[in-house]
Amino acid sequence: MQNSEELKWALLVASLAMLTMAFCMISFVMYYQKRRFEEEKKINDIEKNYNRLLLDTALNSEETERRRIAQDLHDDIGTMLSLTKLSLNQLSKMTGSERSEKEDQIMRKSQSLVEETILHVRRITRDLVPTTLERFGLLEAIEEFIHKLAEDNNLTISFHADMEEFPRQAQKLELTLYRIMQELVNNAIKHANCTRIEIRLEIKEELIGLRVTDNGIGFDPEKMKESSMAGLGLLGIESRLAILNGTVLYEKPEKGGASAFAQIPVMPVAEVKLEPLHPFRRERVNV
Amino acid sequence: MFPVYLAYCIKNPVGCIAVFITLLPLILIIYRKAYIDPSFKLLLLYLVFKLIIDVIMFHTAAMHQNNLLYFNIAIPFYYSFLSGMFYFKFSSVAFKRILIASMIGFLVFTVWDILKSNAQLHDLHNHRAVLFAKTVEGVLIIALVLLFFYEIIKSLQIPNLLTFPFFWVCSGLLLYYSSFIFIAPVFHYTATWNNSVDLGIANTIPTVFEILCALLFSIGIYHFSPANYAKQ
Repeated sequence: MQNSEELKWALLVASLAMLTMAFCMISFVMYYQKRRFEEEKKINDIEKNYNRLLLDTALNSEETERRRIAQDLHDDIGTMLSLTKLSLNQLSKMTGSERSEKEDQIMRKSQSLVEETILHVRRITRDLVPTTLERFGLLEAIEEFIHKLAEDNNLTISFHADMEEFPRQAQKLELTLYRIMQELVNNAIKHANCTRIEIRLEIKEELIGLRVTDNGIGFDPEKMKESSMAGLGLLGIESRLAILNGTVLYEKPEKGGASAFAQIPVMPVAEVKLEPLHPFRRERVNV
Repeated sequence: MFPVYLAYCIKNPVGCIAVFITLLPLILIIYRKAYIDPSFKLLLLYLVFKLIIDVIMFHTAAMHQNNLLYFNIAIPFYYSFLSGMFYFKFSSVAFKRILIASMIGFLVFTVWDILKSNAQLHDLHNHRAVLFAKTVEGVLIIALVLLFFYEIIKSLQIPNLLTFPFFWVCSGLLLYYSSFIFIAPVFHYTATWNNSVDLGIANTIPTVFEILCALLFSIGIYHFSPANYAKQ
């Protein structure tokens, strides 16, 4: 009888011990799994931030380099070309009556070539650093960009902004939107065989939206990204947007063509004081 | 017949609940269409088989007949159904091969254990519970559950275990077999027709955890979503 009681107790204790172990095991698995997921999430966040920082640094370096090249072109080559033009003018005046017709023709051709080169250098420097963007903001910069494009191409480019006074945004945001607009418009001109491009800029609550629509042949963004070279521009757009927590959506309008809609959270600057700054003053791009 | 069953239910309520609670996960599997997952299809077969065996045992117990033969016969079937569920859950091919080998090995072992525990097999009145097979079944199922836990921790593919149906099934099995593992071999000596020993609360613990196991199965099946099945 006593043995039977002892057996009961032994069984009870053993079963309870086993059950405790089972409960602990289940709790441990749940806790450990949760902890590992949190750690994994932290690592992913760190990696994501690091990649964003790398991308940001790369884009900053690109902008700084563009600025340096623009400055060198403007200060060195631009100045030298202006001096060459002056010298040619002086030479032309000095040898005006003594020149033969052939020499006169060569002189005029040289002067015209120098003038053309000066114009090209100015255009390149403007393309490299959008000074209008820095001075007057996104609306003016886009207007200037499409004005120049319309002169050079048989294209109808229209631009609409949903407000007349577009509030100035952080330099980084404005530059990002400008570069994206440039990329999308250039893509449409190069690959879409389009005759009309429409650019829309809108602010909705906390987001700035940029929509570029064309009436060309359209494209499949996923297939485009898969091909290593062709998708670089689109990847560049996504990379620029990723830094500012922006998104891009490619659509195929029913009437044909392609449409890209980029959105970025607004980053307004309180008051931008227009300084009489030198267009290419040597400074690090503070983005 | 009904008064006999009723009398047995009043005499042994916990045991009777353990028999009929099986209906809950069984109905839920059908209602939630969880059987589209091969593992849950095997769980459905296990529950159907268990319900049939339990009802037969319930009937024979109410009729004061020895029902340990059904208990013994059910052991390899239970193991086959339950380990079959893990066959579809394990990603490792080596584990799957070991699992199939263990099913065949365990079937042979149980037959040997039944014959060893009952020298006179034709004497059903004095039939006794197996000595080792139920404990070995428990050890194997616990090992499978722990291996599965190891795999899910290692793979990190399930973000929230509380909404993962098979985790609840594993938890139920782990608790039930943990509660039964020490008591099972004792049944061979205590559950005899002429000289039975009452184990008291120790006898009730596995039955209580059998009910808890069915409830945990039900929670797991409730979390099953046919729409999300392909994503799991």
